[in-house]
Amino acid sequence: MSADILLEVRGLRTVFDTRAGQVCAVDGVDVTVNRGECLGIVGESGSGKSVTFASVMGLVRVPGRIEAGEIVFDGIDLRKLSAKKMQAMRGRDIAMTMQDALTALNPALTVGEQLAEMLAAHADDLPPGRMARRAAIRARAIEMLTRVGIPSAGERLGQYPHEFSGGMRQRIMIALALAAKPRLLIADEPTTALDVTIQAQVLELISALRAEFGMSVVLITHDLGVVAQHCDRVMVMYAGQVVEEGPTAQVIRQPRHPYTQGLLASIPRPARRGQPIRPIQGQVPELVNLPPQCRFLERCPLADDACRHPIDMRPAGPERRARCIRITTPDIEKGLSHDI
Amino acid sequence: MTLTRLLERLLQLIPVLLGVSVIVFVMMALTPGDPIQIMIGDQIVTAEQEAQMRRDIGLDRPMVERFFVFLGNAIQFDFGQSFYHRRPVADVILERLPATIELTIVAMLIALVTAIPLGVLAAVRKNSIFDRIATVGGLLGVSLPGFWFGILLLMLFAVHLNILPVAGRINYGISQGITPYTHFLLIDTLLNGRLDAFRNALAHIILPAVTLGLPMTAILMRVTRTAMLEVLRTDYVTFAQAKGLSRQRILWRHALKNALIPTVSVAAIETGSLLGGNMIIETVFGWPGLGRLVVESIFVRNYPLVQAAVLLYAVIYVMLNFFADILYTILNPRVKL
Amino acid sequence: MSILEPTAPVEAESLFRRNMAAFMENRLAFGSAIVVVLFVLMAVFAPWIAPNDPYATNLFFRLQPPVWMEGGDWAYPLGADSLGRCILSRIIYGARISIFIGAAVIIVATSIGILAGLAAGYLRGWVDVVISRLVDILLGFPYLIFAIGLMAMMGPGLGNIILALAYKEWVIPCRVVRGETLATRELEYVEAARALGASGRHIMLREILPNILSPVIVVATIRMAHVIILEASLSFLGLGVQPPTASWGAMVADGRAFILVSWWVSTFPGLAILLLVLAINVASQGLRDAFDPRFTE
Repeated sequence: MSADILLEVRGLRTVFDTRAGQVCAVDGVDVTVNRGECLGIVGESGSGKSVTFASVMGLVRVPGRIEAGEIVFDGIDLRKLSAKKMQAMRGRDIAMTMQDALTALNPALTVGEQLAEMLAAHADDLPPGRMARRAAIRARAIEMLTRVGIPSAGERLGQYPHEFSGGMRQRIMIALALAAKPRLLIADEPTTALDVTIQAQVLELISALRAEFGMSVVLITHDLGVVAQHCDRVMVMYAGQVVEEGPTAQVIRQPRHPYTQGLLASIPRPARRGQPIRPIQGQVPELVNLPPQCRFLERCPLADDACRHPIDMRPAGPERRARCIRITTPDIEKGLSHDI
Repeated sequence: MTLTRLLERLLQLIPVLLGVSVIVFVMMALTPGDPIQIMIGDQIVTAEQEAQMRRDIGLDRPMVERFFVFLGNAIQFDFGQSFYHRRPVADVILERLPATIELTIVAMLIALVTAIPLGVLAAVRKNSIFDRIATVGGLLGVSLPGFWFGILLLMLFAVHLNILPVAGRINYGISQGITPYTHFLLIDTLLNGRLDAFRNALAHIILPAVTLGLPMTAILMRVTRTAMLEVLRTDYVTFAQAKGLSRQRILWRHALKNALIPTVSVAAIETGSLLGGNMIIETVFGWPGLGRLVVESIFVRNYPLVQAAVLLYAVIYVMLNFFADILYTILNPRVKL
Repeated sequence: MSILEPTAPVEAESLFRRNMAAFMENRLAFGSAIVVVLFVLMAVFAPWIAPNDPYATNLFFRLQPPVWMEGGDWAYPLGADSLGRCILSRIIYGARISIFIGAAVIIVATSIGILAGLAAGYLRGWVDVVISRLVDILLGFPYLIFAIGLMAMMGPGLGNIILALAYKEWVIPCRVVRGETLATRELEYVEAARALGASGRHIMLREILPNILSPVIVVATIRMAHVIILEASLSFLGLGVQPPTASWGAMVADGRAFILVSWWVSTFPGLAILLLVLAINVASQGLRDAFDPRFTE
């Protein structure tokens, strides 16, 4: 493993046992996160992007379970860790923010209490003695809130989450996630619940903190625009699989997989003014008893009988890979040409 | 919560309390049988004396006037004479009330300390054997007739095993020389430094309190379980896990603090229902409280006492419901009054 | 859902087990419903089932133990009470009282509750104010105390028990119906009926009522169990039906004096109450889950 790699996931398979049968939410996903980079994960809901990182955090809820795969964080195989050790890593080494801060913050505890318990659980450089310890925790809580841009943080420690505005709550959640200075932040849809003006501020904040703390960020989103602005690399997921990955600029300029092309074509952009927005036809397949073939087949304009086989990820240029047999055929070049 | 809002809520109680008094008054006014005849019993009185008695308690006045006299007196805690005891009804009630309150509080505490942990565990280990047992126990708890369960407990612990007393609050011999500071025996015995008497009082209260608290335990356990299941599915519990907090902390602080909001208000309401249960349980266990007094009074047709007690119970019940409401808003920081 | 063992492995058989559990739960509710039906049959056919006359006293068999104990006799399978009456026969006849009163109270209370709730929820205005105030006031009384007060006033007797319980019981279906009506009256099909000039009575009884009936039925079955316990409690206190009529609560009370020597006198009638109430509770829970999946956890 290269020294630059912080997180490496190999062959992850996470399934949910339901009455309708086994749902394979994540099917053979590989993820690599380098130190200090920002990786974007793009996909529709149900693509497995959130479940992949819930698996990394060890937070897959029953009836879900990880069936296979390796999750190596900084040389440690997380799946082999005891529950106790995994718990100690959460928050301290790998942190997570959730989509909606209003539901992610405990409504019955003050912001100060929620920050304090986080610091008490993870900071091991606190001074001895009850009073000194409490004072240090308080000071650090104020420092963290100030850092994420909460004005008069000291006074607001005693307030409950509902007493803050939506943007402020999002900042508080980020402060909580970053309180223990983790090396990896998993930001799950950090902007979906926010107004457009606040979205940009929150993303700027995450980027600034990434540089400041030297941490890696995984940005889970369905918004390719967000990825284009903030991520070094991008991974596109579809129906539990990675369908394309590579450096952001290249993937956006020259998408290799028809699904990525479809995603890009469905975004309204000033450069394409006058052209129709073309949404992807059809629906994501049910993840129960999927036939062994390309999962995008039903919705793909390029599909034919050759796609009715399991498709592997294959190289698609320098540092790029995609899950499509047409990568080297002229068809895909033709498919690319029209709207990019 | 603001003071004005609290006052507003208190004002809303007035029509309810007024309606309750009307019903209690009418209930007793329509009771067949002449109260004067009941008062006289087998004494020999002249028609003159009888008419005087009738005037004394205002029975010759119109109904509406009698109601307002009743209401005015009730507000001053004057419920007339208990013919049976030949003392004011209020005195007799006050004498028996501490025993009832003590029993109710102990029953409530037993219910709270057993139901909440059991409900939490049943939710955390959902569908486990433990959860099944708790579910069955919960159903049994609401299906058991209290008077019968009490008798079964008496047969087992007092008769068969002979380790607990059959009836009463304390053994007469032991109770001597205890200064009644609070009239709650469990507290008075301790204040007097009489551990022997405390143990005796505790032995007396345990069976009635368990029997009385059983349905409340069952209901609270179900409420706690349901609330906890709901809370455990929330994002903030997942986020707390993602923060790397310990399982114990997430469960007992993050989850329970939210799950307790519905539980506590149900607990306050259920404590009101214990008042009704008191009549049964005090009768079964010979507990010298207000509930048993009311039942006895019905049979000796001591209606002023029954009337006063029903009104008192209703007022306490209304106040407990009000208290449950307030408690809910206090516990839930999101609800602004 | 146990989220606190995040990656706890779920074996393949657990799915099977869960389905089995769901199945068993339904079977449990179904079985309980059968138990309830058996109790009803027992009540209806009491004269043909009971081995003895429930009122025939025979001091020679006073406090006779049940058949499996020493001194027991097949003539009195569950023994005899202090007057030498057959306990089994009295339990069988007692089912009549419990079930009749339970059903009567629920039918009366539900009918009144439906009418009052529909009127309050549909007509609104002063009708709603009056009914809702009355409901608030009646909710101000602990149930048993209210019933005891009324029984004290009216004296014992079958009809009086039904009245005493129904006076407060109607409040519960009323609240349910009022809430559902408020939610339903603005729905399009009701609007459409109104636009077509249907009368208020027609809309309430023909358009709204059929659509809100299932929660009402669920509540009625749950409450029936409660009413049976209340009736037994009143009878236990001596405020129920008049002796010598066999009533389970009164039978338990009769046995109280003999718990030192004859445990069976109190135990069996109480067991009958428990069985019937438990069966109704389990069945109604199954009904609730089937009718309204919202409640299912």
